[in-house]
Amino acid sequence: MHNHSLHRAAAAVLVLSVLAACKKTAPPPAQAPITVASVDLGRQIGPDNRVVQSMTTFGVNDTIYASVATTGTASSAVLTAKWTYQTGQTVDSTTMTIAPTGPAQTEFHIMKPTPWPVGGYVLAIWLDGQSVGQKAFEVK
Amino acid sequence: MPDPNKPLPDFSDVQGGSSSTAPQPPQPQERTYTVQKGDSLSKIAKAFYGKANKWKVIYEANKDSIKNPDLIYPGQVFRIPQV
Repeated sequence: MHNHSLHRAAAAVLVLSVLAACKKTAPPPAQAPITVASVDLGRQIGPDNRVVQSMTTFGVNDTIYASVATTGTASSAVLTAKWTYQTGQTVDSTTMTIAPTGPAQTEFHIMKPTPWPVGGYVLAIWLDGQSVGQKAFEVK
Repeated sequence: MPDPNKPLPDFSDVQGGSSSTAPQPPQPQERTYTVQKGDSLSKIAKAFYGKANKWKVIYEANKDSIKNPDLIYPGQVFRIPQV
Protein backbone atom coordinates (compact mmCIF):
# COMPACT_ATOMS: atom_id res chain seq x y z
CA MET A 1 0.00 0.00 0.00
CA HIS A 2 2.74 2.33 0.97
CA ASN A 3 4.58 1.33 -2.19
CA HIS A 4 1.52 2.19 -4.30
CA SER A 5 1.40 5.73 -2.93
CA LEU A 6 5.06 6.19 -3.68
CA HIS A 7 4.60 4.94 -7.22
CA ARG A 8 1.65 7.26 -7.77
CA ALA A 9 3.57 10.26 -6.44
CA ALA A 10 6.55 9.40 -8.61
CA ALA A 11 4.29 9.02 -11.66
CA ALA A 12 2.65 12.37 -10.95
CA VAL A 13 6.04 14.06 -10.67
CA LEU A 14 7.12 12.43 -13.93
CA VAL A 15 3.97 13.56 -15.75
CA LEU A 16 4.37 17.12 -14.45
CA SER A 17 8.03 17.14 -15.48
CA VAL A 18 7.18 15.96 -18.98
CA LEU A 19 4.41 18.55 -19.28
CA ALA A 20 6.76 21.30 -18.11
CA ALA A 21 9.36 20.20 -20.63
CA CYS A 22 6.78 20.25 -23.41
CA LYS A 23 5.58 23.76 -22.57
CA LYS A 24 7.03 26.01 -25.23
CA THR A 25 7.85 29.65 -24.76
CA ALA A 26 5.21 31.68 -26.54
CA PRO A 27 6.66 33.33 -29.62
CA PRO A 28 6.66 37.14 -29.59
CA PRO A 29 3.51 38.53 -31.20
CA ALA A 30 3.94 38.97 -34.93
CA GLN A 31 4.19 42.62 -35.90
CA ALA A 32 1.62 43.48 -38.53
CA PRO A 33 2.97 45.38 -41.50
CA ILE A 34 1.79 48.94 -41.97
CA THR A 35 -1.51 49.44 -43.77
CA VAL A 36 -3.64 52.50 -44.39
CA ALA A 37 -6.86 52.21 -42.40
CA SER A 38 -8.63 55.41 -43.42
CA VAL A 39 -8.27 58.77 -45.10
CA ASP A 40 -10.33 61.75 -43.94
CA LEU A 41 -10.48 65.30 -45.19
CA GLY A 42 -11.26 68.38 -43.17
CA ARG A 43 -10.62 72.06 -42.55
CA GLN A 44 -8.93 71.59 -39.21
CA ILE A 45 -6.91 68.96 -37.43
CA GLY A 46 -6.47 68.36 -33.73
CA PRO A 47 -3.24 67.76 -31.85
CA ASP A 48 -3.67 64.05 -32.57
CA ASN A 49 -3.50 64.80 -36.32
CA ARG A 50 -7.12 63.72 -36.82
CA VAL A 51 -9.47 66.00 -38.72
CA VAL A 52 -11.89 67.73 -36.39
CA GLN A 53 -14.80 67.27 -38.77
CA SER A 54 -14.71 65.09 -41.86
CA MET A 55 -15.95 66.82 -45.02
CA THR A 56 -15.65 66.73 -48.80
CA THR A 57 -16.70 70.28 -49.70
CA PHE A 58 -14.44 73.24 -49.06
CA GLY A 59 -14.41 76.97 -49.53
CA VAL A 60 -12.03 78.78 -51.85
CA ASN A 61 -9.95 80.12 -48.96
CA ASP A 62 -9.74 76.95 -46.88
CA THR A 63 -6.63 75.08 -45.91
CA ILE A 64 -7.42 71.47 -46.74
CA TYR A 65 -6.19 68.76 -44.41
CA ALA A 66 -6.04 65.03 -45.02
CA SER A 67 -5.57 62.73 -42.07
CA VAL A 68 -4.25 59.30 -42.95
CA ALA A 69 -4.69 56.65 -40.28
CA THR A 70 -2.28 53.73 -40.41
CA THR A 71 -2.02 50.57 -38.40
CA GLY A 72 0.89 48.19 -38.08
CA THR A 73 4.57 48.82 -37.91
CA ALA A 74 7.40 49.59 -40.30
CA SER A 75 11.03 50.50 -39.88
CA SER A 76 10.56 52.91 -42.77
CA ALA A 77 7.44 53.54 -44.83
CA VAL A 78 6.86 56.24 -47.40
CA LEU A 79 3.45 57.89 -47.50
CA THR A 80 2.69 60.18 -50.42
CA ALA A 81 -0.28 62.49 -50.81
CA LYS A 82 -0.90 63.59 -54.38
CA TRP A 83 -3.54 66.25 -54.89
CA THR A 84 -4.93 66.75 -58.39
CA TYR A 85 -7.47 69.09 -59.97
CA GLN A 86 -10.28 68.01 -62.27
CA THR A 87 -8.15 68.95 -65.30
CA GLY A 88 -5.58 66.36 -64.23
CA GLN A 89 -3.14 69.04 -63.10
CA THR A 90 -1.07 68.18 -60.07
CA VAL A 91 -1.89 70.62 -57.31
CA ASP A 92 0.71 69.32 -54.86
CA SER A 93 2.56 66.15 -53.98
CA THR A 94 4.04 65.64 -50.53
CA THR A 95 5.95 62.65 -49.23
CA MET A 96 6.50 61.69 -45.61
CA THR A 97 8.70 58.88 -44.35
CA ILE A 98 7.56 57.34 -41.09
CA ALA A 99 8.59 54.49 -38.81
CA PRO A 100 5.37 53.65 -36.97
CA THR A 101 5.46 51.30 -34.01
CA GLY A 102 1.65 51.04 -33.93
CA PRO A 103 -1.42 52.99 -34.97
CA ALA A 104 -0.49 56.45 -36.25
CA GLN A 105 -2.05 59.53 -37.82
CA THR A 106 -0.22 61.34 -40.58
CA GLU A 107 -1.61 64.61 -41.84
CA PHE A 108 -1.05 66.27 -45.18
CA HIS A 109 -2.30 69.72 -45.97
CA ILE A 110 -2.44 72.17 -48.81
CA MET A 111 -3.00 75.89 -48.64
CA LYS A 112 -3.11 78.59 -51.25
CA PRO A 113 -2.65 82.32 -50.63
CA THR A 114 -4.95 83.04 -53.57
CA PRO A 115 -8.41 81.43 -53.83
CA TRP A 116 -8.65 77.81 -54.89
CA PRO A 117 -10.15 77.32 -58.34
CA VAL A 118 -13.64 75.96 -57.86
CA GLY A 119 -14.26 72.45 -59.09
CA GLY A 120 -13.45 68.86 -58.34
CA TYR A 121 -10.23 67.60 -56.80
CA VAL A 122 -8.86 64.19 -55.91
CA LEU A 123 -6.43 63.26 -53.19
CA ALA A 124 -4.56 60.00 -53.83
CA ILE A 125 -2.61 58.32 -51.05
CA TRP A 126 0.32 56.07 -51.84
CA LEU A 127 2.15 53.79 -49.45
CA ASP A 128 5.60 52.64 -50.50
CA GLY A 129 4.75 53.27 -54.13
CA GLN A 130 1.39 51.49 -54.05
CA SER A 131 -1.88 53.37 -54.39
CA VAL A 132 -3.85 52.68 -51.22
CA GLY A 133 -6.82 54.97 -51.56
CA GLN A 134 -8.24 58.19 -52.82
CA LYS A 135 -10.75 60.81 -51.79
CA ALA A 136 -12.64 63.15 -54.08
CA PHE A 137 -13.61 66.58 -52.84
CA GLU A 138 -15.01 69.78 -54.18
CA VAL A 139 -14.18 73.44 -53.80
CA LYS A 140 -17.20 75.75 -54.07
CA MET B 1 -16.77 68.97 -67.54
CA PRO B 2 -13.88 71.47 -67.82
CA ASP B 3 -14.07 73.95 -70.66
CA PRO B 4 -11.15 73.14 -73.05
CA ASN B 5 -10.99 76.80 -74.10
CA LYS B 6 -10.53 78.05 -70.58
CA PRO B 7 -6.92 78.61 -69.47
CA LEU B 8 -5.66 76.12 -66.92
CA PRO B 9 -5.70 77.35 -63.34
CA ASP B 10 -2.44 78.23 -61.68
CA PHE B 11 -1.38 76.10 -58.71
CA SER B 12 2.18 77.37 -58.51
CA ASP B 13 1.55 79.16 -55.23
CA VAL B 14 0.17 76.10 -53.43
CA GLN B 15 2.02 75.24 -50.26
CA GLY B 16 1.88 71.69 -49.01
CA GLY B 17 3.08 70.11 -45.81
CA SER B 18 2.80 67.10 -43.55
CA SER B 19 3.39 65.80 -40.06
CA SER B 20 2.86 62.52 -38.29
CA THR B 21 2.33 61.08 -34.86
CA ALA B 22 4.60 58.23 -35.96
CA PRO B 23 8.32 58.56 -35.34
CA GLN B 24 10.59 59.13 -38.28
CA PRO B 25 13.21 56.57 -39.16
CA PRO B 26 16.65 57.40 -37.82
CA GLN B 27 18.88 59.15 -40.29
CA PRO B 28 21.96 57.14 -41.15
CA GLN B 29 24.94 58.72 -39.49
CA GLU B 30 27.71 59.79 -41.77
CA ARG B 31 31.10 58.52 -40.78
CA THR B 32 34.37 60.32 -41.15
CA TYR B 33 37.88 59.05 -41.63
CA THR B 34 41.22 60.77 -41.03
CA VAL B 35 43.73 59.92 -43.71
CA GLN B 36 46.83 58.08 -42.51
CA LYS B 37 50.23 57.84 -44.15
CA GLY B 38 50.11 55.34 -47.01
CA ASP B 39 46.36 55.64 -47.57
CA SER B 40 44.72 55.96 -50.94
CA LEU B 41 41.07 56.44 -51.81
CA SER B 42 40.96 52.83 -53.03
CA LYS B 43 42.43 51.59 -49.77
CA ILE B 44 39.91 53.57 -47.72
CA ALA B 45 37.06 52.37 -49.94
CA LYS B 46 38.21 48.77 -49.48
CA ALA B 47 38.29 49.26 -45.70
CA PHE B 48 34.81 50.81 -45.46
CA TYR B 49 32.91 49.24 -48.35
CA GLY B 50 34.85 46.06 -48.96
CA LYS B 51 35.49 47.15 -52.54
CA ALA B 52 38.37 49.31 -53.70
CA ASN B 53 36.44 50.38 -56.79
CA LYS B 54 34.02 52.34 -54.59
CA TRP B 55 36.69 55.02 -54.18
CA LYS B 56 34.65 57.37 -56.35
CA VAL B 57 31.90 57.48 -53.69
CA ILE B 58 34.39 58.94 -51.24
CA TYR B 59 35.85 61.19 -53.89
CA GLU B 60 32.43 62.60 -54.86
CA ALA B 61 31.55 63.23 -51.21
CA ASN B 62 34.80 65.08 -50.59
CA LYS B 63 35.42 66.87 -53.86
CA ASP B 64 35.74 70.14 -52.01
CA SER B 65 38.90 68.90 -50.29
CA ILE B 66 40.33 66.53 -52.93
CA LYS B 67 41.84 68.25 -55.95
CA ASN B 68 43.42 65.13 -57.37
CA PRO B 69 42.03 61.73 -56.33
CA ASP B 70 45.53 60.27 -56.60
CA LEU B 71 46.85 62.75 -54.07
CA ILE B 72 45.46 62.67 -50.58
CA TYR B 73 47.32 63.74 -47.49
CA PRO B 74 47.62 62.46 -43.92
CA GLY B 75 45.39 64.43 -41.61
CA GLN B 76 42.68 65.10 -44.18
CA VAL B 77 39.25 64.21 -42.82
CA PHE B 78 36.91 62.64 -45.34
CA ARG B 79 33.18 62.04 -45.13
CA ILE B 80 32.36 58.38 -45.74
CA PRO B 81 28.80 58.20 -47.09
CA GLN B 82 26.53 55.20 -46.64
CA VAL B 83 26.20 53.15 -49.82
